[in-house]
Parts: sequence; structure tokens; C-alpha cells
Amino acid sequence: MRPIFLYNNTLDEGYIILITGLLIVFSGLLLLTLFFKFGLPFLLYIYKIITKGPDKKINEISSKVNEEFTGEIAAAISAAVHMYLDERHDKENAILTIKQARKLYSPWSSKIYGVYSRKL
Amino acid sequence: MKKIIVFFGVVTLLISMRPVLGLTNNSASSTLVTTTVSQSSEETGESFISEAFQGIKHFYEYTGFANVAWGNIIMILIGIIFIYLAIKFDYEPLLLIPIGIGVIIGNIPFVAGNQTGIYESGSVLNYLYFGVVKGIYPPLIFLGIGAMTDFSSLIANPKLMLLGAAAQIGVFGTFLGALYLGFNLPEAGAIGIIGGADGPTAIFLSSKLANGVNILPDGTTVKNLIGPIAIAAYSYMALVPVIQPPIMRLLISKKERVIKMKPPRAVSQKEKMIFPVVALLLTTFISPSALPLLGMLFFGNLLKESGRTERLAETARTKMIDIVTILLGVTVGASTQADIFITKDSMLIFGLGAISFVIATMGGLLFAKFMNLFLKGDNKINPLIGAAGVSAVPDSARVVRSEGIKADKHNYLLMHAMAPNVSGVIGSAIAAGIILSFLG
Repeated sequence: MRPIFLYNNTLDEGYIILITGLLIVFSGLLLLTLFFKFGLPFLLYIYKIITKGPDKKINEISSKVNEEFTGEIAAAISAAVHMYLDERHDKENAILTIKQARKLYSPWSSKIYGVYSRKL
Repeated sequence: MKKIIVFFGVVTLLISMRPVLGLTNNSASSTLVTTTVSQSSEETGESFISEAFQGIKHFYEYTGFANVAWGNIIMILIGIIFIYLAIKFDYEPLLLIPIGIGVIIGNIPFVAGNQTGIYESGSVLNYLYFGVVKGIYPPLIFLGIGAMTDFSSLIANPKLMLLGAAAQIGVFGTFLGALYLGFNLPEAGAIGIIGGADGPTAIFLSSKLANGVNILPDGTTVKNLIGPIAIAAYSYMALVPVIQPPIMRLLISKKERVIKMKPPRAVSQKEKMIFPVVALLLTTFISPSALPLLGMLFFGNLLKESGRTERLAETARTKMIDIVTILLGVTVGASTQADIFITKDSMLIFGLGAISFVIATMGGLLFAKFMNLFLKGDNKINPLIGAAGVSAVPDSARVVRSEGIKADKHNYLLMHAMAPNVSGVIGSAIAAGIILSFLG
């Protein structure tokens, strides 16, 4: 596709792209922002209505319910669950026997040096 | 050892005997065998030495020593510096080490015409480079990034998405700067995207616009700027911890730096699943040219959040992105072959790249301050997180965190900074799509 330039001067073209480009980027992300601010709670609400029937009130369903329940609380709870499941210490092996260590040769315990020292 | 010496002695003897034997076979008279042999052996001895010298000379002409140019040596040194920076200071080692070794590989001098170099069609490196030139690697990297990224902080606080848009002023500002410096439109577009601080996006756009193949309306061919743009983008991304803090300290007052943001609300799994689908629809309808990047990004994210495709997500965010990063890094590094890379344009691109990071950071910070004018009390945002709007995931978010902690020991901004950080990725991909649709 051959681009059609509106102006012959590249700088003018550049300014146009600068302004329209920035505008489009902003509007795109603004659209996303607005959707997740307003559209998504609405969608979730409709979903709840479809699945659970209309007996619930809006304020029970909206994401505002989660306002108090922050990520920090979630982290604390999950840390506690993790500790409970994996880091417990009360099921440790209670058999306390001293395992026999394999005897490795060491010059410090060598018989031969003892023999020599007696000689000298 | 003795056996080896004897063996090689016999072999060399046989080799040196061969011309002699050959001559004796050719000689017609059998009576003069001894004299001819003695004479010809002298002659062959001489010609053998000269031939050997010729061979060695020929071999020497093929070595790097004979073909080395100053440019190669400079680039090899730069490659070594990259590796040093990556190992010593831990600046993006996953990128800088492949790129650094690639720079060295690409600048080993060689004789052209043997399908060795990355720019010679048919060479192995050229085939690997194909993924860069045709823009294949960047979308695959985006798939992995999508499978890694947690968008929940963005969903919890959607207004932070605008910070990612604000930082894209770096893209368009650099674009204009490149035009002022005399680059033509497609080249300037490709250079501008360095300000997006996103390596894959930069490679994707430059492979589409400044690939040395496209022909401009006035008949000239665009320059091949993929190498310089990619190197500039990646090296400045690695230098984010150096570039950003001074700007942050300059623009954000001490009082603003200690603003504590309330922790983001927990986000339900449903919202996380809806996000990639909706964001894909909205962003690609606005900017369809960014489809390869954004499509893969949100596809990867859906793999992660769907809860049913953990295997695919796991592969995308570990093995696959690693493989592509290795190939991308080493080929981008190797594309800096000195005779093509060391030009005035490359130097200008490096200058513009630095400016673009500064503009992008300033754009994000100032927009965050601007947003604060409209926000009240608890909802105020810490303007430092604006700096994370330049994508450079996750380095710029880490910089924000460390600057926040310097101002107030108990102010953890990482989660908040991730929101503009990931929206910066989306923003720069949209910006790339817009530039592509204008100039492609």
C-alpha cells in the first residue's frame, strides 16, 4: 500500500502524525479505562443476574464490594494458607537416632602416624 | 605421544613423497630414473616451498587479520563492553549478553561471497536474521510477555492506563526530532518508536518501515536501520536505572514523592479473563496494524488467566520466550556489522534514542502530576509511577520502587507502578500500529 501524504512537506506531515497519533493512543487507552471503570462492573452485574437471578442488589455485586479486600489482605491470607500447608513443623520425624557416619580416611586419625610417633 | 609423532612423521613423509612419485610415474624412460628423480626432487622441493607459501598466503587472506577494519575492532570492543556491563552491573543480562556476543560474531572480519556474513543471502546467520527482518520474533516475544504479565493492578485502577498513553509522547516527540534531523518519514517513524522503550515493538516497526527494501514515493529506497534502532532501544532499556532517577528527582518534589497510594483492590478471576479479550477487541479495532503484537500479547495473557491452559502459558513464558530471546539477541547483535552499522545515521539514532527516553519519562511524570490536580484525598497518585509509563518492563517499575523507598522507607510502589508499566506496553504497541498505518 502506498501511503498518501497530505502535504509535500515532511515536517507538516510529521506534526499531523504527532497530534493524531497521540490523540489516538490516548483515546484508545481512555476507552479501555472507561470500559474497565464502568463497562466491566456492568457486564459482571448482568452475568450475575443471568446466573443467579435478579434477587441480588446491585451494591452486593459491584466490584466496590472488593474495595476493602485489598491485595495486601489477599497476600496475608495466602501466606497463612501456604504456611499451614507446607511449613508446618509439628509433623517432624520424631525418631532421634544418631546415624553412623561413614568413616573416611584422614591423616589426623591415621594409625600409621601413631606407629611412627611411638618409634621416635 | 611417541606413537603420534611417528604417525605424523609418516604422514608428512608420504605427503611430501607424493609429487616425487607422481613425477617418476610420468617419466618415460626407466633408465634415467635415478637422475631425474634427484633433479626433479630438487625442483619440486623449491616449488613445494613456494606453493606452501602461496597456500599460507592464500589462507592468510581469508583470515580475520587480513580483513580487519577499524570499525570491526571498535564494534568488538563495544560487544565486550556490553557483556561486561551485563555481568558486572546486572544490566538486563538476558538481553545484553546475547546482543554483546552477537556484536562480536557479527564483526569478525571475513571475505565476502562465502555465505558467512549476516547480510549475505543464504548464510545461516541470514536465515536466523530473517525472523528479525520479517518481524517474526517480536510477536512471539509478546506472546511470552502476555503469558507473564499480571494485568490485575491495571484492572483494579484503570485510570493508571492513561499514564502509559502519556509516556508515548516520547515516541511522537522523537519522530518529530528525527524529521528535523533530515530522516524521511518512514525512517523517522521507526526511530521514534525507540521512545516506546519496547525492544520487540521497535524491531517490529523498523522491520516494516526502515528495512532497506521499501521504496519511497520519490523513488529512493529507505535505509536499513533495524540494527541501530534495536541496539539503541535495548541499550537504553538496560540503562533505564541510570536515565530515569535524575529526571524523577528534577520534576517531582519531595512532598509528592512520599504520597502513599491505597493498595489496589483484589481483582476477581472473571475480570482477569475478560481483560485480554476486551482489550484485544478495543485496541486492535482502533489500531489494526498493531495486530501481530497486541494479538499475541493478549492471547498469551488469556492462556495465563483462563486457568485451563496452564501448560501452554508455561511454555510461552519460559521455554519459548527464552528461545526467541536468544535468537533475537544474537542476530540483532550480529546485524551491527561495522561497514553497515557505523554511519552518521546510527550516531544520530543513538542521540535521538537518549532524548526519546527522557521525553517519555518526563511525559509520564508530568501527566501523573496533571492527573493529581483532578484527584482528591485518598485517590491521589504518587507522580513517581508516571515514569513507569515508558514500558521497559519491569525495569522502570523497579526504578520507581527504589526511588519511592528512598523518599519513604515504607512506601512500596512496585504494584502501583506495574499498572502504567504494562499499559505502556499496550500504548507503545498502539503507537507502533498508528505509525505503521500512517507510513507503512
